Amino acid sequence: MSILFKKSKRRRSRMSIKEERTAYLYLIPAFMGLTFITYLPLLGVFGISFFEWKGISAPRFNGLDNYIKLFTRDHFFIDSIKVTVYFSLIAVLGSMIYSLFIAMLLNRKIPARGFFRAIFYVPYVLPATAVYIGWSWLYETNFGLFNYLLTKIGLNRVQFLASSKLVVPSLAVISVWLSGNLIVIFLAGLQNVPRIYHEAAEIDGANSWQRFRHITIPCMTPIIFYNLLMSLVTNMQIVVPALSITNGGPGNASMFMTYLMYRYAFLSNQIGYACAISFIFFLIIAIFTGILFATSKAWIFYEGGD
Amino acid sequence: MKAMKKVLVLLLVAAMVFGTMACGKDTKEPDGDTKKTQDTDSGKKDQEDSKPGEKIKLTFSIWGGQDEQANTQETVDKFNASQDRIEVEVLAIPWENYLTKLNSMATANELPDTGMMMETAVIPYAKEGMFADVSDMFAGQKVLDCLAFTYEGEVMAYSSANEILMLFYNRDLFDAANIPYPPADAANAWTWDEFVHTAKLLTLDANGKNATEAGFDPDNIVQYGCSVENLTWQLEVWALSNGGGYFSEDGKELIIDDPATIEALQKVADLYLVDKVAPLSTGTTDDGIPRTLITGKVAMATNGQWNIGTCLKTARDEGLNYGVGVLPYMKEKVTICTGGPTVVFSQTKHPEEAKEFLRWYNSIENSWALIETGTWMPIFEEYYTNEELTRKWVENEAFPPYEEYKTAVVDYAVDYTKQAAWYYTDNIDNFYAVLGSVLGEVWTGGTTVEDAITSNISVLRDAFEGK
Repeated sequence: MSILFKKSKRRRSRMSIKEERTAYLYLIPAFMGLTFITYLPLLGVFGISFFEWKGISAPRFNGLDNYIKLFTRDHFFIDSIKVTVYFSLIAVLGSMIYSLFIAMLLNRKIPARGFFRAIFYVPYVLPATAVYIGWSWLYETNFGLFNYLLTKIGLNRVQFLASSKLVVPSLAVISVWLSGNLIVIFLAGLQNVPRIYHEAAEIDGANSWQRFRHITIPCMTPIIFYNLLMSLVTNMQIVVPALSITNGGPGNASMFMTYLMYRYAFLSNQIGYACAISFIFFLIIAIFTGILFATSKAWIFYEGGD
Repeated sequence: MKAMKKVLVLLLVAAMVFGTMACGKDTKEPDGDTKKTQDTDSGKKDQEDSKPGEKIKLTFSIWGGQDEQANTQETVDKFNASQDRIEVEVLAIPWENYLTKLNSMATANELPDTGMMMETAVIPYAKEGMFADVSDMFAGQKVLDCLAFTYEGEVMAYSSANEILMLFYNRDLFDAANIPYPPADAANAWTWDEFVHTAKLLTLDANGKNATEAGFDPDNIVQYGCSVENLTWQLEVWALSNGGGYFSEDGKELIIDDPATIEALQKVADLYLVDKVAPLSTGTTDDGIPRTLITGKVAMATNGQWNIGTCLKTARDEGLNYGVGVLPYMKEKVTICTGGPTVVFSQTKHPEEAKEFLRWYNSIENSWALIETGTWMPIFEEYYTNEELTRKWVENEAFPPYEEYKTAVVDYAVDYTKQAAWYYTDNIDNFYAVLGSVLGEVWTGGTTVEDAITSNISVLRDAFEGK
């Protein structure tokens, strides 16, 4: 084994110089893009977060003041972290379960399968603001469709968006409805689950739940991980519903972090302060992503080996 | 063959690298802006070594998309054609980036010569000395006093339009209940209690019972008597009406914890919570009239005059029979006015020419398209005091009947109007953001106005003081 390995290594090294050079050349554009559009601005944000800068007058260095104010005196900040995490938990879990379920339905041999696949994907490509404004009319307390139906069947009105307790779950439902892209990825994953496993299990007498639990789920774990990660990052960065329908309200109940950052940076022009929020926000997403990666080894099953 | 491949790879890489760089540039600065900025720069240079006889170049910044840009460009073209000394160039900036862009231009000492300005940003900019004195801009033509933005006693800008808060109502719903219409003149304005009582008569449940009758079912309301707009800036009018306010008259003190202010705001919240005459509104979206009056399920709604042009004209064409009246009052008959200003930036080298352009730009002829549709009200006093001019403005199919509008809007705007707080107060943007959040639980009854304000007074004060 080791001889073979050594041999192949030596053989490769001649070609590899050329290949490596080509590979690095190809990497340059992506690397430059990341450097100039992502990493340098990130450093910039971190730098500016130590300044008081209203944009119009010269920046004034104020050390950790922005951060201290965020955690001690800011009326919105702590709430915004709680709200964003709360929203992400519901939206991520909801959309994972919903998309996996829909993907499994769409994976069966049903009539007009292509049509239904399109139907569930459509929400994802609709303009987000229009979607949220449309939903806000469905949710509307006084004359909205949902409340009209509720009163028709003799129930009390529900303040979907007006109540500080319900606004986050209500918005999360929209986010779940919008998760058509996850369905597509799940669907692709489901089609890659080897049919022979199912057939073998069937012969051994496994029922459909057992097959789902012990074959489908393990084979899907890499896809689940990918979707979980994407869904987490997108939902943590949620901003459109606050921008288009709730303005962060009622109270601070939908004051998502990205929206708060936008308000400080672009409405009240506290650029340095907004940068401090961005940086903390970046750390929070990083922590959640880190947790996800750290636990992934324990539950992801790679078919091909280690 | 191999060499060929190498060349191709290199070309591809080169293309990708340049592609990325171009993309990078695009994301940083929309190409339109880049071009415009460069033009501005060259414009400035031209000015520096301009010889007598050459045109003076001015830039005029506006927000808005392509349509607005085209409209403004048309107006500006007329100005450029009307004389041969000044040439104005339009600099269009998307609304979301407007202040950010101006801020960075201010830092680089490259502000446009003149431009539109957000109401809430006037005093913060004035504080940094960014505006030229425009107090004599309309010499000879009297602009309504309430439309001047002032800082330390000096006029920093004038609104380009006037707007006041008022009452709109659905005539058909009043007729059906056989109730007289709300008063159209301030002399006969309803007290708050009369207003609430009328609203109760107009609030109907599914069985047709109104809110004053026994057996009225508040859980099954099909028609509401009124809706009082609760956007934070509009709520100020009720604080003033009750003898309180948000700020002292010089804009230097915060008086929002005044019992009169608290009582006034609670009365507005109680329309939904206690009186059961108003639909729930959380004061987060600026679509009050479409959300209430235009649904045909709300009899009266307060909001700004601009709704006549922006949505009520279309609604009337589609069958909404609406009328206008004055606001009810608590202790003092009052409304508030507002209107976005146009300014001359102090970095300009040609303040006189900039003022000349703005005087021309704000002339009644150039605002007429928006005035005759009911979206803007004129800024010049003569349109309020000279009946002939008032008729020229109001006798027009977009408007409610002249007799009604004349007293409910025109006279009301002259005799009972106070300025919205951003005409004289700093940090108003922050303050309203915090106030909106503090009052968030009030509208659904989660807390009272008194608790919300007193327990958050230090936060409100910090926001007001810009800490």
